Amino acid sequence: MTAKDLIKITLTLVIIYIIGGVILTGVYAKTSPIMFMGDKKDKEAALKKMMPEAEVIEELGTWESHKKKAGYYVAKKGDEEIGYVVESYGKGYSSYIKVLTAVDKNFIVQKIEILKHGETPGLGDEILKEPFKKQFKGKTLEHIKLVKVETKEDIQAITGATISSRAVTEDAVKNGVKLLMERVGGKG
Amino acid sequence: MKQELSNWEIFRNGIFQENIIFKLAISLCPSIAVTNNIKNGLLMGIAVWFVHVMVEVTVSVFKKFIHPRIRIPIFMLIISVWVTVINLIMAAFVRDIYGEIGLYLQLIVAFASLLARSEAFAAKNTVMHSFMDAMGMGIGFMIALVIISFFRELIGAGAVWGQAIVETKPVLIFILPAGGFFTVGILMAFFNWMELRGKAKPHH
Repeated sequence: MTAKDLIKITLTLVIIYIIGGVILTGVYAKTSPIMFMGDKKDKEAALKKMMPEAEVIEELGTWESHKKKAGYYVAKKGDEEIGYVVESYGKGYSSYIKVLTAVDKNFIVQKIEILKHGETPGLGDEILKEPFKKQFKGKTLEHIKLVKVETKEDIQAITGATISSRAVTEDAVKNGVKLLMERVGGKG
Repeated sequence: MKQELSNWEIFRNGIFQENIIFKLAISLCPSIAVTNNIKNGLLMGIAVWFVHVMVEVTVSVFKKFIHPRIRIPIFMLIISVWVTVINLIMAAFVRDIYGEIGLYLQLIVAFASLLARSEAFAAKNTVMHSFMDAMGMGIGFMIALVIISFFRELIGAGAVWGQAIVETKPVLIFILPAGGFFTVGILMAFFNWMELRGKAKPHH
């Protein structure tokens, strides 16, 4: 291979990669604002679903859950604060599970929702199903506790998915509620 | 000169003689990661099929400009540009579908079958033939994924398309990664056995 070939090949490669980069930049510039709006809308819709009776849900601040930025929110009806919503993460079997937890103003859990996870399909992803999630309704902080037997007071683990269940219960939800009690409860 | 193949023969080749999974045995890792239920298998199959067609056609169109010494980095660039473009467009305009298949789309960048077919076929053949090859490869791959995921979901989770057939999970290991390899191995053996039996028959 001569020096001329070497230069030719290098130049071709550089030009082709620049073309690739330009294409990607163009597509990204066009699509990212649309994506951003979509994300924002999805988040608002998810928050709204957590507290259907609220008129407005405002962000109060952010905190760090497993080194990720997470928000917490106040739900208002008129001027009255009717509850809070907190975003938190739990360390699961194969992913960080992103959870939203809604509590009323006495910090009793009203609803939880799994926003994002990468747990084993068919096993860990059972945490998405209603029978597991609805156990959280009406629980106070002491009862956000995972047990492996049938229970009405605490949270029952999913068979074959104890780690995922624990991540949601004793990591994400529990720490989320604790945070709300510290930051919001202490103040009021 | 090698013998000219018809479009139909090229198409069939991808489904049977050179099926990506059961015959060429490439792209196994990403496929096994997502075939624990039929829905995932099918969506992944469709995504790969589409990217296969785009990549092979692009390679074939630009084959004159691709210097043989730097073909691999160029193929990789073509693959990653297509995957990223499709990814971004879907994320922006079809959010619902993207939510379901976004994860798989990104995996396709690492697909050996794309590189292998660009190298072995699209770089040497006409655009039309490359298109047919990609259609055959993509559909053959999709069929293979659906077969694998059908058995994995049925045996591992006791369900078909998310609908539970039995209440328990019969053989849990089948929906875990190890079970994926078992399934592929058993099916591969089965297809080879069928083929050998078919060939052996006339002698009886």
